[in-house]
Amino acid sequence: MPEEQSGRELLRRYHEHGDTEARERLIEQYLPLVRSLARRYSYRGEQLEDLVQVGCIGLIKAIDRFDVDRGVELTTYATPNIIGEIKRHFRDKGWAIRVPRGLQELNVRLSHLLEELTVQLERSPTIPELAKAAGVDEEEVLEALESGQAYATLSLSAPAGGDDDSDLDPLESLGTIEHEYEVSENRAVLAPGLKVLDERERRILHLRFFEGLTQSQIAQQVGISQMHVSRLIRRSLEKIRDEIAPEPEPRRRASESRR
Amino acid sequence: MTTNIELRIPNEKPYHGVARLVVGGLAARLALSFETLEDLQLALASVLEADGYAAGDEICVALDVTDDRIQMSIGPLRGDTVRADLDAAGEETIGLGRLLGTLVENVEVEKREDGDWLRFTKAVRGLEPIEDHA
Repeated sequence: MPEEQSGRELLRRYHEHGDTEARERLIEQYLPLVRSLARRYSYRGEQLEDLVQVGCIGLIKAIDRFDVDRGVELTTYATPNIIGEIKRHFRDKGWAIRVPRGLQELNVRLSHLLEELTVQLERSPTIPELAKAAGVDEEEVLEALESGQAYATLSLSAPAGGDDDSDLDPLESLGTIEHEYEVSENRAVLAPGLKVLDERERRILHLRFFEGLTQSQIAQQVGISQMHVSRLIRRSLEKIRDEIAPEPEPRRRASESRR
Repeated sequence: MTTNIELRIPNEKPYHGVARLVVGGLAARLALSFETLEDLQLALASVLEADGYAAGDEICVALDVTDDRIQMSIGPLRGDTVRADLDAAGEETIGLGRLLGTLVENVEVEKREDGDWLRFTKAVRGLEPIEDHA
């Protein structure tokens, strides 16, 4: 194919003669590749253009490191570089899966509705009741609750992600009533695996699994929203699992080689 | 009348979310409370996401719904590992035994043809008949 030949030609001009114009033309030529790869990942809620930018970094690295004398095509060499760069971008942002803004907002709204309905009905509301109050489908409620899971995996030290709603700040209400509780409550949960938890997480787990309080009771006692209690419980249990888990590598490798 | 739902998934984290959504979908249809749904999903996660429980590359989640309870079975699992964790109910640990003991009832490991399965039930008061809410 003439285009690929000219690609190889351009690579030679750049690598052997330092022709930076050839490099520019290569970038332009391979931009559609970056674009198509970026499109695969943009459903995760990240702006396509941002991902194209990130992917271009991978392309440029590939062009710079390409060995002209090896018999591979630049496309073959560049693709994993571009994908790698896009994946690193997601990792750096701290989101396993980027949650679309609409769902984030619904999640916040549901959190408030959950409080209101629990008081109003004097019991925990159902999904249909939450859906009706929010004016959305039940499926949307489930999706938004599920998106809260992706959010829950965010580490406390992760950057807040720029323009995110302040309601979604993982540090929400941290340090408000934290230190007022009895030390005795804290003493119970110090077994292996639990050292990875902070004081509040330990307290919440204690109230839930040793005192048998419900999420809404804990929410009242600790002074945070029920949805936040839910997130903290899930995250704490995840942390414990990670801490006490034996070396997970062999299983992961086995499942990867299957693909 | 019993309604059965069965889901077989690769035992990999992204698919555990699929199982969670199925439980969520069922909870929506049955008009379970948010807290009941949370209990079921946490119980499910404590089994699916624990390392070393699954006996193979695939795992099955079966839900049996009757008038006043939901029974969830998960398997095939390594029964010995699961049993050991269920029994290790130390005073100060949050192990599988304490988790499931708080979240659900009648936790049992049973032998089936393809291996050991963990089964538990969740009592749900006044289940509405399944209707088309959509």
